[in-house]
Amino acid sequence: MTAKPKSKPLKKTLPLLILAGPGLLYFLINSYFPMFGVFIAFKDVNYAKGIFGSDWIGFKNFTFLFQTSDAWIMTRNTLLYNLAFIALGTIVSIIIAILMSELLNKLYSKLFMTGLILPNLISMVVLSLLVFAFLNADSGFVNHSILRPLGIPEINWYSEAKYWPYLLVLIQIWKTAGYGSIIYFASIAGIDKSIYESAKIDGAGKLKQIRMITLPLLKPTIIVLVLMSMGRIFNSDFGLFYQVPMNSGALYSTTQTIDTYVYRALMQLNDIGMSAAAGLYQSLVGFALVLTVNAIVKKVNPENALF
Amino acid sequence: MNNKKGLGSLLLSMVICGSLLSACGGNSNTTSEGSGNTEAKAKVAEIVFALPSFNRIPDDLSKVTNAINAITTEKIGVKVDFRLFGPADYAQKVNLALQSGEKMDVFTTLGQFSNYVSKSQVAPLEELLPEHGKELTAILDKDFGPDILKTTTMDGHIYGIPVNKGMALPTNIIFNADMLTDAGVSADSIQSVEDLPAVFAAVKKKSPDVVPFGPINVNPTDTGLVNWMKGASKVDYLTDTTGVGVVIGDSGKVVNFYESDVFKNGIQMMREWFNAGYLQKDTATTTITAMEMVSSGRGFSFLGGYSGMEVGKQLSAQVGKNIETKRIAPFYFDTSAVNSVTWMVSSTSKETEAAVKFLNLLYTDKELINTILFGIEGEDYLKVDEHHVKFPEGMDANTVPYTSMLSSGIVGSESLQYQMEGINWSDVELKLQENKDTARSPYFGFIFDQGQVKTQMSAVTNVVSQFLPALVSGSVDPDTIIAKFNSALKDAGAQDIIDSKQQQLDQWLAAQK
Repeated sequence: MTAKPKSKPLKKTLPLLILAGPGLLYFLINSYFPMFGVFIAFKDVNYAKGIFGSDWIGFKNFTFLFQTSDAWIMTRNTLLYNLAFIALGTIVSIIIAILMSELLNKLYSKLFMTGLILPNLISMVVLSLLVFAFLNADSGFVNHSILRPLGIPEINWYSEAKYWPYLLVLIQIWKTAGYGSIIYFASIAGIDKSIYESAKIDGAGKLKQIRMITLPLLKPTIIVLVLMSMGRIFNSDFGLFYQVPMNSGALYSTTQTIDTYVYRALMQLNDIGMSAAAGLYQSLVGFALVLTVNAIVKKVNPENALF
Repeated sequence: MNNKKGLGSLLLSMVICGSLLSACGGNSNTTSEGSGNTEAKAKVAEIVFALPSFNRIPDDLSKVTNAINAITTEKIGVKVDFRLFGPADYAQKVNLALQSGEKMDVFTTLGQFSNYVSKSQVAPLEELLPEHGKELTAILDKDFGPDILKTTTMDGHIYGIPVNKGMALPTNIIFNADMLTDAGVSADSIQSVEDLPAVFAAVKKKSPDVVPFGPINVNPTDTGLVNWMKGASKVDYLTDTTGVGVVIGDSGKVVNFYESDVFKNGIQMMREWFNAGYLQKDTATTTITAMEMVSSGRGFSFLGGYSGMEVGKQLSAQVGKNIETKRIAPFYFDTSAVNSVTWMVSSTSKETEAAVKFLNLLYTDKELINTILFGIEGEDYLKVDEHHVKFPEGMDANTVPYTSMLSSGIVGSESLQYQMEGINWSDVELKLQENKDTARSPYFGFIFDQGQVKTQMSAVTNVVSQFLPALVSGSVDPDTIIAKFNSALKDAGAQDIIDSKQQQLDQWLAAQK
């Protein structure tokens, strides 16, 4: 008798478990087994002794991340850029999604949507060449066709660090905002139309509808998406920070991030211990940030927290 | 009952999971098990040989692999599993095989010698060479000199065999000869780097749209200036590429190259060229190589290191312009000039003896070398005379079933290789002669072990890539930037590297006596 209530749920869930099987297997092999690899970050890898036989060296592999004055610059850049991307990206995405949802013509809305998503499909390498075509010193569009005819002194974009924070944010938003708006668009489409109708009857204008209905109902989606991007706040898009500024040394003060630093530093050393250390450091900080932000959200509004 | 069912499915999934995982690792064992049928077969050792190819990688290598095996099984009783990878893939594929424990016996380094050694990824060969590599050692002695293996020796162990080719790469100015004639300048007037500004001025005057001088590599920009300084002022980089610990001349004192007068003067010269408009404004960051500029007619010249005298012809064919070269600085042999392309045997290899036997053949057997390079005679190439070959009628390097002729600087001994039709054979002889005649650094053979200063090396590498490209292209003011550069290097721990290098160099020098 005692076994019966236990077995019943299993009978019900077994088909589901089998269905989930391949997915679980995938995560097991691709996400959980490799996690054991983190111990490489604490080893002086020697192939003759094998990875397991190599000597433990404690935190020595981590020191290269904090070796120079660049340590501060790259941490600052990584954090500030990502904060800017998250904040501005979210705002722009929501604006796009709202505007799209207000478009009554289905055909136009599809057309614009496709156009907005298109930049997301362009690889960073191609994008870097597009940007180069705009900004290069001699024949670039900006210098050649705008500044020169207007008689404004030309700018050597690739050797002036001060412009790049704006450029990079602009490029990133242009590239990702359209794609990011899809989920918001879907959430808005899921909002019950009758709420709007009753608001209209009560005399609410378009702006008031957006402020009082759309935005509050979007809040859970926004919080989840922001939380998820928080986890990657210490990782930066390598293509954006390495390819787009053309790896120009003069720009490092505003384009160096942890990823590009690690890449440049380890390209020659080819040391997997140190790269594992860098990856672990980034993941741990990301993990801590997700927990912190989630805790804050939980405190303010428990319903919207992720877990 | 149902509980057991659940357990069963869990077990089943674990079995599937386990078999999937083990399938990945299982491949390497099957080959050795299969060959043990008869005693004669058991003697044939099988090795994996990975070659980078700069030509098209064909889909089907079986014909060439069979041809190679026909030679190797008969001569040394070794069967070769021949792998061909493009240059971009090569290091990655080899590293992956080494790290995952997949079978990989003979491979080459593209400039990472001491890295492989310090991580114990390669096997010491000194015990095997006297027995299985006699001819190999003999041909290296004959073509280069007896001390060549010193460049691949660390702590008394020989870890690799450098490629036997023209290794002296004097700095040349490579220029469009037609433009020079147009500008009314004779090529004879170019003797040294001091003559160049006048030439550039003349070219610029004649055709203002042409860029007189460009960078050879891009990202990070390299104008060839550092190589020129190394040859002209006898700078030994002591086997790492940062330039933070070098010896200039035979002083025996390790110094920071970027604090030296040699460096400052060189940068000053480039700054003058830049200010005079001989370089593009965005040289430091451009993505267009000088070679592309020259072939499109927008560029006039660049600096490059080339062995032999025939390079102008090859470049002309490649670029489609009338290209000539003029040597303007000698070459200076330091260790990395020789060991940058080295054949190595993996430390996890179970067939080191067979691997050395194969290496021996790779350097001494004309048939093997040329099969690897050109494929099968009659199908992939035709013989013209003793030293020269051409592609079959109507075919070129892209349409023949197999060729890796562009990899000729990597495979074995250059003196045993066929040359493409039209290349003067005497050039090969000249290159061999220059290998012996070119000045050698007194620290030739010293290899710096970076293990103690890994952290500093990574930090310094970053600083160098931040400042050097802008400096060597003359696009920033040397007076302020060189000082900034050096203080950033100091922050990154340059002094530790210099100290560590000096200590190792002193030890090495003491051991040489």
